[in-house]
Amino acid sequence: MTPPSPSSVPAAPPAAAAVTIDGRAVPFRPGQTVIQAAHAVGIDVPHYCYHPGLSVAGNCRICMVEVEGSSKPQIACKLPCAEGLKIRTQSPLALEARAGVMEMLLVNHPLDCPICDQAGECHLQEYSFAFGQGATRATTEKTHLPKNVPFGAKVVYDAERCIKCTLCVRFVDEIAGTHELAMGGRSDQEIVIMTAKGEFTTPYAMNIIDLCPVGALTSRDFRFKSRLWFMDFTPTLCTGCARGCNVTLGARTGRLMRLEPRFNAEVNRWWMCDPGRLGYGHVNSATRLTAPRVKQPDGSWVEVTVEAALAFAGALLRAARMSGGGMSGGGMSGGGGDVLCDGNLALEELQLAKDLAAALKGQARFAAAVGKDGDSLLIVNEKGANAKGAEALGLARQSAPAPALVLLVEEHDNVGKALRDGSGAKVVFASDATHVPASAEVAFPLPTFAEKDGWLVNVDGHVQALRRSPQTGPQGLTSAVELLDELLTELASPRGGRGLSDVRAELRSLPALAALIWTAVEAPAPAEATT
Amino acid sequence: MSPIPPGAQLKGAAAAAAGQAAGTLGVATGAVGSAAARVAAGTQAATKPVVPIAFPPPEVKADCEELLKRYPTKMAALLPILHLAQKHNAGWVSPALEAGVAAYLGVSDAHVRGVLTFYAMFHTQPVGRHDVWVCRTLTCWLRGAEALTKTALAKAGIDKVGGTDAQGRFSVREMECLGLCEVAPAAWIDGQVHGHVTPDSLGRLMDGCA
Amino acid sequence: MTTPATRRTPETKVLSLNFGVPDSWTLKVVRERGAYQALEKALKTMTPEQVTAEVKTSRLRGRGGAGFPAGVKWGFVPKSSPKTKYVVCNADESEPGTFKDRYLMELDPHLVLEGCLLAAYAVGASVIYIYVRGEYPLSIARLEGAMAEARAAGLVGANILGSSFSCEAWVHPGAGAYICGEETGMLESLEGKRGHPRIKPPFPAVEGAFASPTLINNVETLAHVPWIVTNGGAAFAKQGIPPDPANPRAVGSSGTKLMGVSGPVRTPGVWEFEFGITLRELIYGYGGGPLPGRTIKAVIPGGISMPVLTDAELDVKMGFDELAKAGSGLGTACAIVMDDTCDMVKACINIAHFFADESCGQCTPCREGCHWLEKIYKRIDAGQGTLADLDLLASLFGNIEGRTICALADAAVWPLRSILKKFRPEFEARLARPVTAVAGQAVMS
Repeated sequence: MTPPSPSSVPAAPPAAAAVTIDGRAVPFRPGQTVIQAAHAVGIDVPHYCYHPGLSVAGNCRICMVEVEGSSKPQIACKLPCAEGLKIRTQSPLALEARAGVMEMLLVNHPLDCPICDQAGECHLQEYSFAFGQGATRATTEKTHLPKNVPFGAKVVYDAERCIKCTLCVRFVDEIAGTHELAMGGRSDQEIVIMTAKGEFTTPYAMNIIDLCPVGALTSRDFRFKSRLWFMDFTPTLCTGCARGCNVTLGARTGRLMRLEPRFNAEVNRWWMCDPGRLGYGHVNSATRLTAPRVKQPDGSWVEVTVEAALAFAGALLRAARMSGGGMSGGGMSGGGGDVLCDGNLALEELQLAKDLAAALKGQARFAAAVGKDGDSLLIVNEKGANAKGAEALGLARQSAPAPALVLLVEEHDNVGKALRDGSGAKVVFASDATHVPASAEVAFPLPTFAEKDGWLVNVDGHVQALRRSPQTGPQGLTSAVELLDELLTELASPRGGRGLSDVRAELRSLPALAALIWTAVEAPAPAEATT
Repeated sequence: MSPIPPGAQLKGAAAAAAGQAAGTLGVATGAVGSAAARVAAGTQAATKPVVPIAFPPPEVKADCEELLKRYPTKMAALLPILHLAQKHNAGWVSPALEAGVAAYLGVSDAHVRGVLTFYAMFHTQPVGRHDVWVCRTLTCWLRGAEALTKTALAKAGIDKVGGTDAQGRFSVREMECLGLCEVAPAAWIDGQVHGHVTPDSLGRLMDGCA
Repeated sequence: MTTPATRRTPETKVLSLNFGVPDSWTLKVVRERGAYQALEKALKTMTPEQVTAEVKTSRLRGRGGAGFPAGVKWGFVPKSSPKTKYVVCNADESEPGTFKDRYLMELDPHLVLEGCLLAAYAVGASVIYIYVRGEYPLSIARLEGAMAEARAAGLVGANILGSSFSCEAWVHPGAGAYICGEETGMLESLEGKRGHPRIKPPFPAVEGAFASPTLINNVETLAHVPWIVTNGGAAFAKQGIPPDPANPRAVGSSGTKLMGVSGPVRTPGVWEFEFGITLRELIYGYGGGPLPGRTIKAVIPGGISMPVLTDAELDVKMGFDELAKAGSGLGTACAIVMDDTCDMVKACINIAHFFADESCGQCTPCREGCHWLEKIYKRIDAGQGTLADLDLLASLFGNIEGRTICALADAAVWPLRSILKKFRPEFEARLARPVTAVAGQAVMS
């Protein structure tokens, strides 16, 4: 779970009003609580049950601070900022109150750390380390509660680890709106209970895993897969639909381990959907194309070097161009070769695909699936992660099978089997060998979203950046941008001989893209996401 | 009292974990027995699909409709309606009945179970034909409640408070202050209040229960 | 050792005027005895503000345990609001040792209802809910009966007694949770949820039941209102203990109070006195003193949630400020008496268990702390306690008190801390004992 880092919460604009925290003037906006004002300037008031995107529960009590003029510590998550308020977070009273709560939380908490997935991103661990007692005074038997309780097929609940903060219940009530969780029992038997239906209807259930400050809610998918500190984390985007939720991709030794949401105030706030979170199987597929291949006269494939494949493809494309069409029936343009693109391709790839189509005297089109599960939260019916970008670049949308000379297909059902087979494409870029149609004569491995740097335009017109995770996918893949550029050179196009930054500079200057929202990619790249 | 009584019929994953946890260390925490049953019922519910009972049944329909009129929200009628539902279901609320009430009031079944398991007067497991309550709080304790509890358990043939005997005749519970302090020690059998109770008088009262 | 007091102070029957009268819970009987005359007077000759003014003048303090001035609380309810306003009568009476409200509801439900109606009139409420604990079936039945009678007689419902004041009244049953006696826990329960207290502010007067302005008062508090309306707030204020003239903010303890005694005493019961009778007279004079051959060891003056007083400290007057000054508190004014046969360590187990079981579970210090306290007491009782355990108890009291959403945690700490302080030798003596055999097995901690 990645709690919102102070720098990711929008900073308060300059305000006249300020509270004093530890002797420092901290500005606040009307309506803010002390914890919000503190976090905005990087004062880390510890918290479990507080979350800026949910209602305030005030039950964990760890955020208690000393308020000048009061002998009782008060919870910062509920205390409204007011001019003249003086707060101390490190006074003896505040420290004692905090240590007291920590001790209480650990009285019945099981010593599961060695087997708990939360290790390394657990608030209990972090706060114990920061300000807990070194030794426990609790030598009484711990309360025992159900462990390993399935909350549907995707989430596992451990009532002993649970600190009853109610974040999960509040999320399912307030954001998902399905009320499928509740608190049950009373006193030290209070636990989270689930609807008797036994499965969530909300497609956002797994956000409760991120919300849970401890290891009480874990992902069935990620359970026992890897320790956090062996993993590599990359801030990138989900490509499950056109929402473009910001995510953090966790990988280790060639495998994508998990996706989790990353805060973005304009796009997805703190959340992502479950299908998006779990939709990375294609990245780890056993049938990934790992090297370029060329079809032999006898129909069998042989793996070749990139250079050899480019030469082969170049020759094939030149010949097709000369004969006015590389496939029977001609393309939609009536001559030259068309290029069919996956709606997930990045702007840079699409721009070069357009150039390639032009060099082939054909058209570039894109295909993307459209679903029916769009909702008012995040999920969009448009499944092409960059459909909006493709449209902005002027690519027509293709829904029915039609001939194309070049095909680029990432994992998705964006370019389904009918479209792939119906294209008759001879030059194919595919991430998975099973997506290469029978008509192909040369196939290049296409990096998935996890393995490239590229810009995507989301449903609202935000341009956002995919970032390459060095730990995922087959090693040594050449980027599609490089390959397409080489093909342009093979075709002696004046558009060849450019790199990623050149293409980006051109995109930035295109009038067709001027109306898009570029702030995300123009801001300095954020630091590597931490756990 | 163990929060998850050894030998309780838990199902599924909860049983394995709970069995290990509560097993060898003997008496665990001092949780009220019925709280443990509430927890166990909560974990059982997730393991098999529930068909809601059509609610309300004819005998309480008029009362339920009248209750709904008293509140600005349907949810607010939950407690009085659960009392009615329980009374007409042999003293407990099954998962199917819980689902029926939830549907009737337009609230989630998780919410209803959260309420059922919070309040001491609601039961999510079958109860005996006769509900025997002994008040255990300070005044009654000072005036001999522990002896009454022992008597009630012995009479019913139950070894732990919160339990029901094998023949389904008695459930014996310890309740917190019943507000009958001036006639302590107090007991309650089938909704009937009894004061100045002695082990003998309690025994005779229980003998009189079929 | 002081000599036991006799019954020198007579009862002052205001609330208990109809107790013992046959069928006192029926409209027919009490109407003849003056019931609803105050309501008629208010509706016909007083404005709502005037009713509130009388209650303010009376200096009536909340009778549920907190003692907050009722008139001031009434004044917090906004005069006008686009929302329906509510009166919620707190009849959850679950404080151990306390049974006074039960008498009011069983024996004079019309008095309670009339008090609620007057409060509703004063604050502009149009719905009354009387939240009665589920374990009081007779109270529920009698109140519902009273409401039906009143409705039929035009005393509840539209245009009461021909006035423009309309108000409905319902009984809402609890289902067994002490925490629902806490104001905001009650509101949550009224709304059909678990009784989890809310963070204040906002206060119920502004945002209470159904997010609307709500007046919540204890049964006994509201039951005083008809007398105040009939006789005037000034007359009420003359009874009881006047405010300390040296303290401009003092409120005193005005009027009468139902006071009870329970535990091992000869004649446990409830009586009604003006504030000012001593705790000693209440316990020895009316409660009959300890059982034959026994002596009084400790008393909690009002319920269970107050620090204990020893026999030597019983000459304190029953009043809010007087008991606070004596290091305890009036609470519900229903005293629990512990005698010399009472094992104070075991008593602490009983008290800690109560609060541990009744904790709603929201806040970390209460949920985890109360059970921890109980476990430590059990260990001491079993002879496995150490001096460090006594220090641990004191430390935990500090980490529990004042650190939670509601006062249940404080209520747990107050009696326990005072018992440890005043009976420490008994705890220390227990520490010296070797491991005891319990049921044939050594008890492991």
